[in-house]
Amino acid sequence: MINALSIEDLSFTYQSWTEKENEPLFRALSLALPAGSKTLLLAPFNKGKTTLAKIICGVCPKYFPGELQGDINLYGKSLSDLDPWDLLPVCTYVSQNPQEQFVATSVEEEIAFPLESMGMERETMHARIEEAITQWGLQDLRTSSEQELSGGERKRVLLATMQAIDASFWLLDEAFDDLDQHWRDQLKHLIATKDKTVLVLASRYLREFDDLFDQVLLLDEGDIASGDRSTLISRFAHLCGDDLPSPLETEHIQPSQKRILSCKSLQAERSRVSTTKSKQFTLEVPDFQLRSGELVTLVGPNGSGKSSFSRLLCGLDTPIAGQITIDGEPFRDKQLSKRVGYLFQSPDLQIFLPTVAEELSWSLKRRSDLSKSEIESRIATCAELFSLDLEDTPTTMSYPLRKALQAAVYYLLDRPFYILDELDSALTYQSTLSIIAHLRRNGAGILLITHDRQFADKVAQRSYTIKEGRLIAV
Amino acid sequence: MTTNTYIAGKGWLYRFDPRAKLLLMLLMCVWFFLPVTLLHLALVVALVVLVGAHSTGWHHAWRTVYSISPMLLFMILFMPFNVREGVPLVSIGSFTVITKEGLEQALRLMSRFIGITYVCTLLFATTVMHEVMLTLRWYHLPYKASLVVTLAFTYIPFIADSFSQISESHRLREAEDEQKKKVGQRLKDLVPTLTSALVVALRSIPNLAMSLEMRGFGRQERRSSYHSLDAYHHVCTNFLLACIIPLAFWLASMLF
Repeated sequence: MINALSIEDLSFTYQSWTEKENEPLFRALSLALPAGSKTLLLAPFNKGKTTLAKIICGVCPKYFPGELQGDINLYGKSLSDLDPWDLLPVCTYVSQNPQEQFVATSVEEEIAFPLESMGMERETMHARIEEAITQWGLQDLRTSSEQELSGGERKRVLLATMQAIDASFWLLDEAFDDLDQHWRDQLKHLIATKDKTVLVLASRYLREFDDLFDQVLLLDEGDIASGDRSTLISRFAHLCGDDLPSPLETEHIQPSQKRILSCKSLQAERSRVSTTKSKQFTLEVPDFQLRSGELVTLVGPNGSGKSSFSRLLCGLDTPIAGQITIDGEPFRDKQLSKRVGYLFQSPDLQIFLPTVAEELSWSLKRRSDLSKSEIESRIATCAELFSLDLEDTPTTMSYPLRKALQAAVYYLLDRPFYILDELDSALTYQSTLSIIAHLRRNGAGILLITHDRQFADKVAQRSYTIKEGRLIAV
Repeated sequence: MTTNTYIAGKGWLYRFDPRAKLLLMLLMCVWFFLPVTLLHLALVVALVVLVGAHSTGWHHAWRTVYSISPMLLFMILFMPFNVREGVPLVSIGSFTVITKEGLEQALRLMSRFIGITYVCTLLFATTVMHEVMLTLRWYHLPYKASLVVTLAFTYIPFIADSFSQISESHRLREAEDEQKKKVGQRLKDLVPTLTSALVVALRSIPNLAMSLEMRGFGRQERRSSYHSLDAYHHVCTNFLLACIIPLAFWLASMLF
């Protein structure tokens, strides 16, 4: 049988932008995927999972410079003889970060763009686009721009595009992240039933993966390990630190003050300006409470208003009715922003200075009660706690380290309440829990937004969900 | 240009053929430079703003003015000082600070700026981007050039969005005891915000190039088109209207 993908002796080292040479990411890596096989490739963070995907798609080292050696063949054709656009009908890649893959101005256009590139007849395109749009529940979002979509909706657009292209090889990088349970089940069904070669890259083992794959592989130490499934999964859990005791179990929370963040009869509205078809989004919060030291989760479908609620709670948006109180006293706008820390889903929008040291000291320098030496001491302790190098450049750091930096910035702010928007997405459970433990050390109340129900059930003291525009306690 | 995004609606501008709308936009831009009186210019600009507000809503109309307000402020503060000849309006001793002509020139420039901004914004707010693309191709602009134009307009909202999110992130990082910031500090704070927006924009370049190629940009075969402009009827009438509207404005300014 012909292999859909075969990689032999692959070595890759990213180009270094400093005097220090980079370590090779892959050393003589070999991999063969038979046509029609379904493979799960588990990889701890920073082991080159996304880089491997980009190499297979022919865009690395083209756009992400480095030294590449080895042979890669897709359906018997050498990748060195092909350009990325030649792979369009052969291989579709769904990125971990959906934002980076959008090229068109609306959902419908995004799905149509690759089909137009293939010179497809309008009728065929229409049929494929309609099927994909309907299957991924995007009917009301046809004319919506990428900026108007939630993280999960963006991921659904990419999956709809993948389905419309109908390539024979699907390369999915953390494709289950950002999706709520309904769409995770749908993706699982699609992978299981379609006659495609599927390679799913993941940095966390989700329960959706059970019984879905023909083979499970592990990417570690620059090479791919195969073998008994349960042994590999245990080894992977060990590499991710998931077999260690939860940092939450050993922490001693010492709230300096018992505080309560609460909302009563809160209402918010939002509309998508680029479409008249979608209903105006409304969110009602009859009653919500978050106390010092609590870890509360918020789970809900994509686009249900989790991020909108977070924006209200930290004062970035103003509700149309109701009020937010802290210890019974009403707070709004900037007053709230200074008490409720909100870690965005993307760390890149919250870190912006040239070095880690500058990033960490930015807020402290604005405080009138801290001396220079006190600031230096605090940022040094914080950097050690979050395993950060003060001289590092945030923009060149890996995604988990950027996430850690984002959390470290808020750690220093020492807010009484924090909202963590999908912190667990693209982080190991252990890293997520240790960030939560650090932020909670002084008794902060934490609201964790997540799509991972299993994780939510495991860590939450209480939980909320959003159903039909209404936030309710579970 | 303050094109943020397409704003869905049902007004006559949405039904107007995009090819004719593009011509109308260009002719109106030329019209703003015709030798008409300041009153006529201001009236036409006001009419354009009213039509825009009616089509896309007052919120969008206000946002457009708001986004160009720093430029307008700059014009009204500094332009009048450039013209020293004419009827003095403000003098300090024998030194003429502002003349009637200087003020008129500033107002004329502001009107033109508002007018051009509005007609361009209206084109993009009432036309979906793929129709803008089809229109440019109908005018025989090569596909790659049309794509560059539409990508540029896709990236304006992207960068604007990044900028506002980064500003919000700064706001969330303010110290609890921080007092209201002075203008100097606020301007100083703009530097890291702008730098981060620039970094986000620069980092998106390889991703965009990668995504375009992965979506088949660069393939040799002829691209097909999912959409067409066939749904627009009365194309000739629309083109005629696109010519008549600016002409009517000009004739009206001559007669009254």
